[in-house]
Amino acid sequence: MKILILGAGAVGGYWGARLHQAGIDVTFLLREKRAEAVRKNGLVVKSAKSGDAVLPVKVVTKATEGGPYDVIVLACKGYDLGSAMDSIAPAVGANTTIVPMLNGHIHFATLDAKFGAEKIAGGLARISGMLGPNGEILHSGASGVSFGERDGKPARQSLVDLDAACKKAGIDGGLNANINQDLWDKWLMLGSIAGMCSAMRGTIGDIMASDDGEAIMSEILDECRKVATAEGYPPSDKAFAGVKGALTQKGAKTVASILGDIEKGGAVEGRQIVGDMLARARKHGIAAPNLRFAYAHLQTYEARRERGGLK
Amino acid sequence: MKILILGAGAIGGYVGGRLHQTGADVTFLVRPARRQAIERDGLVIKSTKGDVTQKVKTVLTGSDGGPYDIVLLTPKAYDLDSAIEAIAPAVGPDTTVVPLLNGMRHLDVLDARFGKDRVVGGLARVGVAMSGDGTIHHTSPFAAISFGERGGKAPRAALKELDAAVKKSGVDGGLNGNIEQDLWDKWIMLCSLAATNCLMRGSSGDILEAEEGEAIVLETIDECRSVAAAAGHDPGETGMKTIRGFLTVKGSRFTASMLHDLEKGNMVEADHIVGDMIARAKKAGISTPNLRMAYVNLQVYLARRARKG
Repeated sequence: MKILILGAGAVGGYWGARLHQAGIDVTFLLREKRAEAVRKNGLVVKSAKSGDAVLPVKVVTKATEGGPYDVIVLACKGYDLGSAMDSIAPAVGANTTIVPMLNGHIHFATLDAKFGAEKIAGGLARISGMLGPNGEILHSGASGVSFGERDGKPARQSLVDLDAACKKAGIDGGLNANINQDLWDKWLMLGSIAGMCSAMRGTIGDIMASDDGEAIMSEILDECRKVATAEGYPPSDKAFAGVKGALTQKGAKTVASILGDIEKGGAVEGRQIVGDMLARARKHGIAAPNLRFAYAHLQTYEARRERGGLK
Repeated sequence: MKILILGAGAIGGYVGGRLHQTGADVTFLVRPARRQAIERDGLVIKSTKGDVTQKVKTVLTGSDGGPYDIVLLTPKAYDLDSAIEAIAPAVGPDTTVVPLLNGMRHLDVLDARFGKDRVVGGLARVGVAMSGDGTIHHTSPFAAISFGERGGKAPRAALKELDAAVKKSGVDGGLNGNIEQDLWDKWIMLCSLAATNCLMRGSSGDILEAEEGEAIVLETIDECRSVAAAAGHDPGETGMKTIRGFLTVKGSRFTASMLHDLEKGNMVEADHIVGDMIARAKKAGISTPNLRMAYVNLQVYLARRARKG
């Protein structure tokens, strides 16, 4: 099995590095500059969990090189999906499976339209990390992935192979027979934490310390749960209680990564994570006042970012 | 008539400076460093209405130079307690305290300390700031203060005299027969502006770029209006039109000073401007979901500021 990974960021880079270390045939599709650096210095990974490594990974700068690929992993940000699709398009053949690891759901419609739904698996990452100043992958905490068939049918061979590769590489998770539920469970959590940490500009602990912070967090969780339920993927009581416990924990320093992006003035997945949840709430006639505030906050941020400041 | 002004900062310095310039008997109650600067450089005003540098009277304690007929104070709400301590020795049996603050809660605090009869209502509309060297920069085309008896009583002699002095000074406004309505009108505007600008972290124009931005701004104004109405001070349709007009101009860079303060890491009047509006809403059984959201945002800011990060 040949795997192509688009980009070498925190998620794709870490996952690909671990697969490479386990002897799996992995190729990274990178931009010229990044490709040059990785060819010269190797892919540098620093991880408390799996140790530090400098890996001589395979690199291409065009998707026409090195193929054909059985699996293409797409771990880009939602706002880069358009250019990501253009990059991988030449590598997508008749037997290629694309495994997108994006947040939310809105990317599926775009990918399905471009490549055909049968080529697109469901997928998500639970890998925490970031890129260091020299492109090194700084991994911390979780290292799990989850992927599977979206129509619930038995997994195709390439996903079974990918699952085996993950297990060999010591990556948690793997093939998931109910990937849609997992996607919704993660989105419910992310929509709530990203919505609140951005709108309130603080950690879970900061929000919990305010008069109505816990009430508002509980409300937005309920809004997302109602949307997930209306879409056919209600979280189990246990899963929901787990998320709610984490998101209403007093003193927690937990913070959504979107807040870091906002405070750096970066691009954010506001539409993908919060806006689309709100749109689905509306479609189902679910009142979602807190999602509405959060999305207005994120859209205001975008407007201000576009014009470059307050002045 | 003798007027004591607490501090010689932006608003107090500007208004007091103009009153002094036109012959009123004004004394500034200041800290030693400010006194030294004023004695050395004079009170320096750079203004759209003309620059002036002048010698002014200063005292270091409220017990000096009195008794005063009028004590004017313009602190930030979070400095109210220390302001009260500073002016207390200057407040005698015939003194009228004129606070020029936003919101309403300070009036209860002042009433409790000095007695309701000594405290009148007042507010300022001046775009003014003080730079590090103590120069007062007045940048807005307008400069007005408004004051008057609460409860619609006929104004006492001291307020009539202050009105005459203000009119002579070129500062607009003066005695207002319905100061409480004026206070509420300004508070509705300010609370809506500060709450939405801070919650969304953008200017009024930025917020209007969000799909639900205008709706959220209008709802917030309505929440404040309901609180004012429950207190017997509905601004009426004309008043509401003015407030809505201010906050819903497409492309406007109009931004609450609270947001500027917040982005500089400064203290903000969150409790006074937004928190107290919510407290009054709760008491009156009015639901204010937008203000509630904004207040969480502001409390998170204050928590982060307290732990510096």
